[in-house]
Amino acid sequence: MNEIKVTSADEFDIRDWLRTDLMPHFMCPGCGHGIALRALLWACHELGIGKDRLAVVSGIGCSGRTGAYIDANTFHTTHGRPLAFATGLKLARPDLTVIVISGDGDSLAIGGNHLIHACRRNLDMTLVLLNNEVYGMTGGQVSPTTSAERFTTTTPAGNMEPVFDACKLAEGAGASFVGREATLQTPALKDLFKAAIAHKGFSLTEVISDCTEIFGRKNALGSSPEMVLKQKKVMIPAHTDNRVPEPFKPHPFETGVFVRQERPEYGEVYEALRARVREKGK
Amino acid sequence: MSTLQNIQGNAACAAGAIAAGCRFYAGYPITPSSEIAEQMAARLPKVGGTFIQMEDELGSMAATVGASLGGVKAMTATSGPGFSLKQENLGYAAMTETPCVIVNVMRGGPSTGLPTRPAQADIMQARWGTHGDHPIIVLAPHTVREIFEETIRAFNLAEALRVPVVVLYDETIGHLVETVDLTPPQPEDIVTRTFASGPAEDYLPYAAGEDMIPAFPRPGDGYRTHTTGLTHDERGFPTQDPQKVDAFMKRLLGKLERHAKMIEKTESVEVDDAQVLIVTMGTPARAAKTAIRQLRDEGIRAGLLRPVTLWPFPEAALRAAAKGKRAVLVPEMNAGQLILEVQRVLGGAAPVSGLNVFNGEPIAPQQIAQAVKELVK
Amino acid sequence: MSKTEPLEMQIRFAGSGGQGLILSARILAAALAGEGRFVAQSQAYEPTSRGGLSRSDLVISEREVDYPLVTALDVAVILDQVAVPACAGLLGRQTLTIIDAGKVTAPPEEPQTIHALPITETARALGNPRVANITALGALAELAGLIAPQTLRARMLKLVPARFRDINAEAFDAGQALAKAAEKV
Repeated sequence: MNEIKVTSADEFDIRDWLRTDLMPHFMCPGCGHGIALRALLWACHELGIGKDRLAVVSGIGCSGRTGAYIDANTFHTTHGRPLAFATGLKLARPDLTVIVISGDGDSLAIGGNHLIHACRRNLDMTLVLLNNEVYGMTGGQVSPTTSAERFTTTTPAGNMEPVFDACKLAEGAGASFVGREATLQTPALKDLFKAAIAHKGFSLTEVISDCTEIFGRKNALGSSPEMVLKQKKVMIPAHTDNRVPEPFKPHPFETGVFVRQERPEYGEVYEALRARVREKGK
Repeated sequence: MSTLQNIQGNAACAAGAIAAGCRFYAGYPITPSSEIAEQMAARLPKVGGTFIQMEDELGSMAATVGASLGGVKAMTATSGPGFSLKQENLGYAAMTETPCVIVNVMRGGPSTGLPTRPAQADIMQARWGTHGDHPIIVLAPHTVREIFEETIRAFNLAEALRVPVVVLYDETIGHLVETVDLTPPQPEDIVTRTFASGPAEDYLPYAAGEDMIPAFPRPGDGYRTHTTGLTHDERGFPTQDPQKVDAFMKRLLGKLERHAKMIEKTESVEVDDAQVLIVTMGTPARAAKTAIRQLRDEGIRAGLLRPVTLWPFPEAALRAAAKGKRAVLVPEMNAGQLILEVQRVLGGAAPVSGLNVFNGEPIAPQQIAQAVKELVK
Repeated sequence: MSKTEPLEMQIRFAGSGGQGLILSARILAAALAGEGRFVAQSQAYEPTSRGGLSRSDLVISEREVDYPLVTALDVAVILDQVAVPACAGLLGRQTLTIIDAGKVTAPPEEPQTIHALPITETARALGNPRVANITALGALAELAGLIAPQTLRARMLKLVPARFRDINAEAFDAGQALAKAAEKV
């Protein structure tokens, strides 16, 4: 278990962590991804991670573009593959802190296979899964986490597919740290990131983000503050112990840390294998 | 003192990779290349490296590039169906100029095709498999010894030129066991990419000098760069500025031409006085060598030009070799791919005909000898 | 078929899967490489590993082999009837052919000289029919004149598992003895 010490937000200046020369950023007004980014960098700040040793790997989509603003070693890879790239990077360079930023389409649809195997292997890295229920970058198509009956450009009559619960999926696949937070609880989100990054092994952190401009507009969910307040109304923090049992009826606003367990970390297991092989070869 | 040993082609590939300094391998099982993965799984931990069997071909290519982005020499191997799946991230390696080596042990296709039989039907895919204009080097060894040597050269070229390099050979040589002298290369014969050095302020990761090859920023060295598959400027950040895009693409596509001398490699056998020039690679080139001897015993003068570096194609060497020849014959284990390039380069300077076998059987010396005889009739 | 490479020899070991013929080929190849000769060894890679046809081929040269696959056999060792059709087109009048007398019921017609030896029967008498591959190797060493039988035998003993060394030594010697005593068909 990693102890989490909350320090004052004042000490953290996000500009120390951003490539400010890239501003203005590409995100739409009201997008939750920027809040998640802030919470992530705040967590890195409080953990004392050096920017030179921080590697951020992202995929394709709005989530994938987010990483570029971080003043660290950033890798904007291909659609669905950031976990696989990060697996190679972390194995080759265990000295780096590896954080993967991905979206619901990136991680749960096109990259689903990499996700479940990353959970299974337990290589030390943190996945920040920005879930906004939609493919925003491509104009608002349905994703594996789009709620029932929601309108998207490819569900003009409302979504009829069941949704994935990313946290349950990760738990089932063996992830040793699984948690969820919404952007409206920024300090709690920061603490979740801190715990996930400090955890030795694979961590999945799902962020309930919001896509106001495309998804919100299409479904008449109102302005960004209105969308976020709607989230708040239905939020169920973990301590209420009220998890929904049906796998295809997840409650996305159940938040907190769901899984935290000590399991052998892949990199350490491999290092032990190297030692064994060398000993045998003597 | 002889260091002769009998070794399988795929094992020689693994031995070459280790000798070249490869310390990371990500793969996925597929016939007829799996022995490379098995060898790397056994060898890498002994030298402090890492082997991982990924969940799929896409992931194994991604992990290979990911490891190289970390500054470590990395390789993957596959065969036809897996090579198709690897194209996505092979393109990413080309775009981001990340050195890596991809081995494709060719089997019969299309689709699942003939998993245990040889073919050469990925010649064009190896050049044009991923989308968009992109640089790539493809090496085509024809013996077990050459698999060892060309795998080492593949790493050297990948590292020197920051480009993905494909080692392309057919199932016959991959599974062939041959007596080979695997003398390890001298340290000075091993190339490692130039890592960025100097002050981090104003550092431009994709700015290159005369040699058109930017120095590689190793994570942790303080440069904190951005790597993206989006078209990027010298800072590494996405751009759509036509001037910057143009400059970037010209450097990306032009860097191999700038270093053509380092890349180009052909073998010529009895070309000078030949009436018929045979152009082929892989196992058919070995059949051609035997055929040339038989034909010369019968007074028919044939010669062979073999691209060892298949792509970029050795255009000048082919034009020179074909000069004054009565005919050019292109034997290949496919329906006609290499011949397209030969015809394009020669542009009618000599009549070009093909000998195409795609039934899963190798091309035998007699078939080539017979085809040459028809041409000189 | 004309042979323009006088120093080159082509050998095939053929039988049914599980007879250990690939090991025989590997041992011979290792022994020849140890003598400074160049060998190219190939085999059919099929998804099945038991029963059915199994073969392993060697092309032997004083220098690096050009075409690595067999086109006209100098020596054929055939341990099962299933392998006879697979050798069609590769056998000639001059092919030195060794067959298992008990397992090859209809020998190929092309070769002038066929040595029909009770290879599997001999191995069985030694206590393990699975050493037939080494018995065949002993016979080959005696008849083909490729390599000194003692050199091949020594290499073989290095390559077989330690616990089977004695029976393989007996099998090799028995194969040699069979060849010495053999009457040509």
